[in-house]
Amino acid sequence: MNFILVGISHHTAPVEVRERMNIHESRLPAALTDLVARRGIREGMILSTCNRVDLAAASEDGVEAEPELRRFLTELHRNDLAPYEQYLYWRRGRDVVRHLFRVACSLDSMILGEPQILGQFKQAFAAASEAGALNGALHEVARQALAVGRRVRRETALGTTAVSASYAAVELAKKIFGSLEGKTVFILGAGKMSELAARHLISSGATSILVTNRTYERACELAQAFGGTPVRFEDAFEQLGRADIVISSTGSREVLVTRERVERMLAARKQRPMFFVDIAVPRDVDPAVNELNNAFVYDIDDLEAVVASNRKQREREAAWAEEIVEEEVERTLRRLASRDLAPTIVALEQRLERIRAAEIERFRGRLGNLDPSQNEAVDALTRGILNKILHGPITEMKNGAGDPEHGALVQLVRRIFGVND
Amino acid sequence: MLLWAALGLYGLGIVLTIPPLTRRRPALPRGALAALAGGLVLHGLSLAVVGFRLHHLPMTDVQGAVSFFAFDVTLAFFLLYLRYKIISLGLFTLPFVFLMALIAALQGSPSFQSPGFRGGWLGVHIAAMILGYTGFFLTFVAGVMYLIQEAELKSKKPHAFHFRLPSLEVCDRLYYRSLVFGNLFVGAGLLTGFVWASRTWHGSWEYDPKIVATLVTWVIYLTLFSTRACGSWRGRRSAYGAIFGFGAVMVTFLGVTFLSGQHGFLPKP
Repeated sequence: MNFILVGISHHTAPVEVRERMNIHESRLPAALTDLVARRGIREGMILSTCNRVDLAAASEDGVEAEPELRRFLTELHRNDLAPYEQYLYWRRGRDVVRHLFRVACSLDSMILGEPQILGQFKQAFAAASEAGALNGALHEVARQALAVGRRVRRETALGTTAVSASYAAVELAKKIFGSLEGKTVFILGAGKMSELAARHLISSGATSILVTNRTYERACELAQAFGGTPVRFEDAFEQLGRADIVISSTGSREVLVTRERVERMLAARKQRPMFFVDIAVPRDVDPAVNELNNAFVYDIDDLEAVVASNRKQREREAAWAEEIVEEEVERTLRRLASRDLAPTIVALEQRLERIRAAEIERFRGRLGNLDPSQNEAVDALTRGILNKILHGPITEMKNGAGDPEHGALVQLVRRIFGVND
Repeated sequence: MLLWAALGLYGLGIVLTIPPLTRRRPALPRGALAALAGGLVLHGLSLAVVGFRLHHLPMTDVQGAVSFFAFDVTLAFFLLYLRYKIISLGLFTLPFVFLMALIAALQGSPSFQSPGFRGGWLGVHIAAMILGYTGFFLTFVAGVMYLIQEAELKSKKPHAFHFRLPSLEVCDRLYYRSLVFGNLFVGAGLLTGFVWASRTWHGSWEYDPKIVATLVTWVIYLTLFSTRACGSWRGRRSAYGAIFGFGAVMVTFLGVTFLSGQHGFLPKP
């Protein structure tokens, strides 16, 4: 059980290089079948996304798989690997396990805690399983990686906070309104950012969209894209009170939404809260509106501050997640080692047991007649000696799991104790 | 001693709840939920047992009243958690409930029965009042949670969810519903109280301090209801109102209990 991994990621390579190494999912089945048919390679998995390509493999004991993997990549991309050398990273043994776990937990992602990687990993796992490329230890590791990814999502807040201003707006809206279902969004001034924010709000459940813009045609365009209603700019302020969430990004030089206006709107709405997302510069909403009960105003700086504080929080959560990953790496390696070692341990025990039994037989004459309890004592004594002798080698073998010399160690122990057949 | 067992389970539930809260990814672990559910069942049983022994509803003394109150609040938290998954509510209510249940348990078996207290209506009256106060307690808690969440939002420095407080809307909904619940039951409690007192007491009991205080409290809460319903108050003002109102509740229940002669839980000198 020797693990090896070669990869390229946003940490090591710019996008032009990454896109050339990318392997489209349609090519995966053939590539995987090819990979595991190669000499010395028992299992393989390929994870290819826009930010990384990771190729993990399990090779036969004692086989150095690097040359074969190089050949594989060269043939796959029909290109000499030399120009890409500087961008590739290699991992072996337990580092492979750690790398796969960290990737699945989004700890190695461009945006810490991003949610897509787990799904992408799942797809890569499925593709490799279907191609018959996962049937042993690597299968176990990949499966466990998914479990660790889920565990980190469950036990830490790593994936829960917004990392962009528009996501932050949605997050805040949820803190005010709980569920966004049935809530009305008013877009004051159609623009790229307000469009993005509206899109996020809709995918989080907001249902009514009103759009207004200085030019009515643009408002109609946007409204149609969202399945909403266009509003003429002159009528906008009458209708504004219908909205729970207002996204404002007009090019106006003056403040459009004044405190008095909002006070009146709130009274008309029976004080149901209003949330103003003011991404315009210069600002459209008077900051004094935030002083009102039941009105909340966030401008672009405020949203960015939320994003920054979220990032800090993610970094803190990441530290926890790394601990979880380390713990899981240890656990997985032990489990794999036990599984692998089981036949060796059984063989060792059997061999020593045969020796023990034979020796007792040989010395039965000299021991004379023993009553049952003495017989038991002799048995216990001899067994105890053997267990203590075996304890050292077995522990060493278990602890060495994942090390590159592990296979050699096991072979040595087998040779020394004479269980190589 | 059923109550002690319930208490033990509540304690376990609280202890199991704390780690997820600090981990900022709060979801009540199944162990905590089970411990609380178990505690609730035992607590309910302890009340039922006392009731059977006395042949009437068990809240006619301090111990029973406090125990019933703690039971109601815990039950409410449990149901609300199932519906809204608000774990932070637990942070506010469970330790308080634990304390109340502890007080109740320490009192031992129902000790004092004021000689004035007889009759079926009485049990209903007390139960209704306690249910009403439970509602008002939840209104208070909802108000507090609202204020904390709102302050965070207004400060624009979201402290990265120190406790996952529920959204303002959920706080408000809890506020409103518990307010209605509380008002209904206190109203019912006052009504049944009048019925019972008119049959049992003599003299001008209408001016008993406790009754007056309860009426005042009820009026406060009715005001909160009407301002909230017509929308002139909502959010921060209503929350402050709930805090003030709960102060009145405390005064009524605890303070007057120890002052009112006829109505109190202490024996007349």
